[in-house]
Amino acid sequence: MALKPVTSPDVEAPPIRLTVDGQQVEAKQGVSLYDVISQTGKTIPAMCYHYTFDPFGSCGMCLVMVEGKKAPVRSCTAKAEAGMVVRCEGEDLFLARKKAVEKHLTVHPLDCPVCDADGHCELQDMAFQHGVTNLVNAKPKGLPEDRRSLVLDFNMNRCILCGECINICKDVQMVDALQFFKKEGTTHVVAKGDEGLVCEFCGDCLAVCPVGAITNKYSKYVYKPWQLKKTTSTCAYCADGCQMYIETSGKGVQRVTSPLSWKNKWGDRAETAKGHGGLCVRGRFGFQYIDSKERLGAPLVRTEEGFAPRSWFEVMDTVIGRLKALKAQHGPNAIAGLITARCTNEELYLFQKLMRTAIGTNQVDSSARYGHLNFTRALQHAAGVGRVMNGYEEITKANVLLLIGTDITETNPVASLRVKEAIRVYGAQAIVATSRMTNIAKLASHPLRIAAGSERSFIQALVKAAVEEDLVDEAATTAAPEAFAALKAAVGGLSWDVLTARTGTSRAVAVESVRLYAEAPKAVILCAEGVTRQVEGYASVLNLVDLAWVTGKLTRPGCGVSALPEEANEQGAVDMGVAPELLPGQALYGDEEARGKFATAWRCSLPPPDPSATLMEILKRCRDGGIKALYLVGENPLATLPASTGVREALEKVELLVCQDPFLTETGRLAHVVLPATTFAEKDGTFTNLEGKVNRVRPALEPYEEARPDWEIFAALGTGLGYPMEYEAAQDVQREIMKLLPGYYNLGEARPVIATPEGYLRNGFAHTVAVRYAAGSEADGARPFALTIGQVLYHSGKLSTRASGLVQLYPSKGRLQMNPEDLAQLQIGPQDVVRVTSAGASVELRTEANPDLARGTCFFPEHFNEPPIKDLAECVVDPTTGVPAFKFTRVAIEKH
Amino acid sequence: MTAKSEGKSLLREVWDALSFSEIRTAMRVVLSHMFVKPVTFQYPREKRTIPDAHRGALGLLRYDDGAERCVGCDLCEAACPSRCIKVVSAENPERPLSRYATEFYIDITKCVFCGYCVEACPVNALAMTKMYEYATADKRQLIFDKKRLYEVGEKHIEDAKRYLYAHNQEKNDAESFQYRYKFPHQVAGLTPPQDS
Repeated sequence: MALKPVTSPDVEAPPIRLTVDGQQVEAKQGVSLYDVISQTGKTIPAMCYHYTFDPFGSCGMCLVMVEGKKAPVRSCTAKAEAGMVVRCEGEDLFLARKKAVEKHLTVHPLDCPVCDADGHCELQDMAFQHGVTNLVNAKPKGLPEDRRSLVLDFNMNRCILCGECINICKDVQMVDALQFFKKEGTTHVVAKGDEGLVCEFCGDCLAVCPVGAITNKYSKYVYKPWQLKKTTSTCAYCADGCQMYIETSGKGVQRVTSPLSWKNKWGDRAETAKGHGGLCVRGRFGFQYIDSKERLGAPLVRTEEGFAPRSWFEVMDTVIGRLKALKAQHGPNAIAGLITARCTNEELYLFQKLMRTAIGTNQVDSSARYGHLNFTRALQHAAGVGRVMNGYEEITKANVLLLIGTDITETNPVASLRVKEAIRVYGAQAIVATSRMTNIAKLASHPLRIAAGSERSFIQALVKAAVEEDLVDEAATTAAPEAFAALKAAVGGLSWDVLTARTGTSRAVAVESVRLYAEAPKAVILCAEGVTRQVEGYASVLNLVDLAWVTGKLTRPGCGVSALPEEANEQGAVDMGVAPELLPGQALYGDEEARGKFATAWRCSLPPPDPSATLMEILKRCRDGGIKALYLVGENPLATLPASTGVREALEKVELLVCQDPFLTETGRLAHVVLPATTFAEKDGTFTNLEGKVNRVRPALEPYEEARPDWEIFAALGTGLGYPMEYEAAQDVQREIMKLLPGYYNLGEARPVIATPEGYLRNGFAHTVAVRYAAGSEADGARPFALTIGQVLYHSGKLSTRASGLVQLYPSKGRLQMNPEDLAQLQIGPQDVVRVTSAGASVELRTEANPDLARGTCFFPEHFNEPPIKDLAECVVDPTTGVPAFKFTRVAIEKH
Repeated sequence: MTAKSEGKSLLREVWDALSFSEIRTAMRVVLSHMFVKPVTFQYPREKRTIPDAHRGALGLLRYDDGAERCVGCDLCEAACPSRCIKVVSAENPERPLSRYATEFYIDITKCVFCGYCVEACPVNALAMTKMYEYATADKRQLIFDKKRLYEVGEKHIEDAKRYLYAHNQEKNDAESFQYRYKFPHQVAGLTPPQDS
């Protein structure tokens, strides 16, 4: 059994006392002696040690003398015992350590000048520190480099066999892709089965490798660590809010690293509950888009011969003039704006301020409308919380995790590590309800295969099981007896026959799951696109809140309902009020008092709540001709929404389409004016991650050619339209937000949230509950396959398809993924073309087998439109929140 | 004149005046120097012999088979006290697994000729030459790029090698390859530098 780390809270061992260099130390019996010594502030060199996993003991550097033993012992694998007398320093130990370094160096090639780790190498440091200048019998291994993997090169000449890469892959990532392998008389680190490495490519092995044995193909040989300028920033791909170091040289971004490194090897194991400091494949290897050649370098104006570059001055003059004319002619409601949630908080705030003050319309929306608003609106309505209820630490320390409709390892890889740590270190039970065998389902204690798209029915089944099996919490239900009676009546109306037929699971499974959930002291529900982006997503989130409420988990610390947003700052977009129903700070737009407060602060009257328009309504009004000008910031609805929504007609109809984006997107090609914006690596600001934590984004590079940060463009537009917006830096905007939303920028820890469901349960609960537990319509038998258009690990939205590194890892294959048994049954070979038909459209394409998919389901990555499979989908707009659901369709598949 | 001649006899004075003794005295120095080898040089026509250890303009060297010695390790850049070196490196497309410098600049206007870069170079790709005549009207000419540095190295290859021997960085015999840095076969695949 592995040694227990000293700081892990699950260590239950008698306290002991021992002496370290004459100093009395308290510790727990059986923990690693190395941890005990490092707690006293001493640092003993150790090349194979890292606090994120259990001590391994291969490098032989952490030698100490224990009284009663003749030879030095390796402190990392030694157990702390009562009354031990330990000496960590001395000439004999120094010489013993020096010998260990020499042992490593005799088989090391000493090709430091061409090694990428040169200057950032623990073996170099150790050799220097111990004064190793002479080597006898140096015998480098002379092995060829293993270049079979797509991203990482393994140079086994340099390897010191510390095993850090293998351990972090096994213990932290729980991927277990690497192993020691003996061949040609030496030990190698190779991918499982001695093949080319194909894994999640998180790059943690690269980060912890203390020498240059693992190198990164994308930045190989192009830098030396001392040449690079390091900028700490926040990743712009998903909402996990990982801290990253963007390392730049004069030419551009050379590599991306993170706080996880062999240099930070001394840490508190308990701290990893908040994050281990690593990145995922997107963050670490998907940086190429920042200095891509495809970036827009100058403002473009559409002329008869196509796009022509113009000066900023001229273009802004045109845009401002056109907007002024349209406003004068048709009123402010002829203008609408959409913004992506990849912008910073400051920019999101300024955008809605620009639309509401300088233009004077409430037709403003963000890409949080694609799903996350279903969650925040529901949670704010039901519990007064408006964001994820559990931070990383609570997820890690939960006893039971209920994951519904999420493929967390693909969408939020770093947040998934918290679930993995909960499973591995804290022994949590994970119930994963999903149709496909996701990576997290493979690790979970209770992987439940439910029918594709049946998340809604499964949640209903859970609530029904909780009520019927009397797994309810007395205190919670007696506080709101009317609501509970209404809920009981509503679930009573559901029949188990329908629920089991829909979900494909039995009543016993639902009962067992909910029993586990209800009886756990700390239980967290995690949901994502499978709930929030589905039809009736708002109701499903409320049903999850019901489940938490009846089992008494809604208000208990360490419990809650959480959803994973997709884009980096979706939470920020909601918090900054970039939605027609919200003001900054999630105040309701219909609230006169809140509107008054912002009207005073912004020194102008705000447009009335009616007419407002959400994303789909804005596009509809564009089509109807009510909206004449559309301002799109980083949004690309043409590539996102299915054709059945009439998005192309809407965009072609408007008289003025302004696109502001770092790239010329599909939508940008339709635009009249294209403004070049910067990426996150060139701007200053903050992102709010899924925990609600505000993270700094810092500029690592100067803006590309003439591109400008979005906030600068907004401020110039606002001033030009006659509403002075005089900001000199993003910090000025920040200062304004700070004044209006005190406490929002508590950089560091996210604010704890307390659910207050009382008002919701007393008023209004009973009216809607019956609708929420309606069985819904039956699936169409004519189209037996369930098509999911979803996210894959290597991509995030359309942005990552501009990063050559990620495209290399996951190119647009144009193949529909299906279960191999289905393929065999339909007699479809890899070269056969199939016709996929939905209610409104059909597409022809090839297929590929994916054994993780359930039978009767198929999958296509949402990042690619080749072939235009998204157009198969129909769009169902949520009646309450206006969220369009189009990621799940029923289709028929036939061999062509 | 009157005060000086007071001590002399009249006869002596007359003799001195008749024999131009003052001119003789002065001319003796001049004439004696006519037969002494001059210490100055007739500079552009004549040039001084420069010692091998002289620190002159820097040049980049090649191996005798024509391969570039430089592996783009950037150590010269790190060692340079006046920060006049800039190296941009990449993987060599022709020889996979080997690193080389795609760009190499030395701002010779900033260079203090300390020779640290040469000392830092693990493959003896940099050497100082005896070249010092690079005065120009255009200061931009004084930022030596990779091409120029290789030209200097090629033109002054003998001097450069002598410089390295003089500074004990490269040796004349077969052990010279052993003496300093050695790349593993598959990384470098290079030939040992031959004796000059």
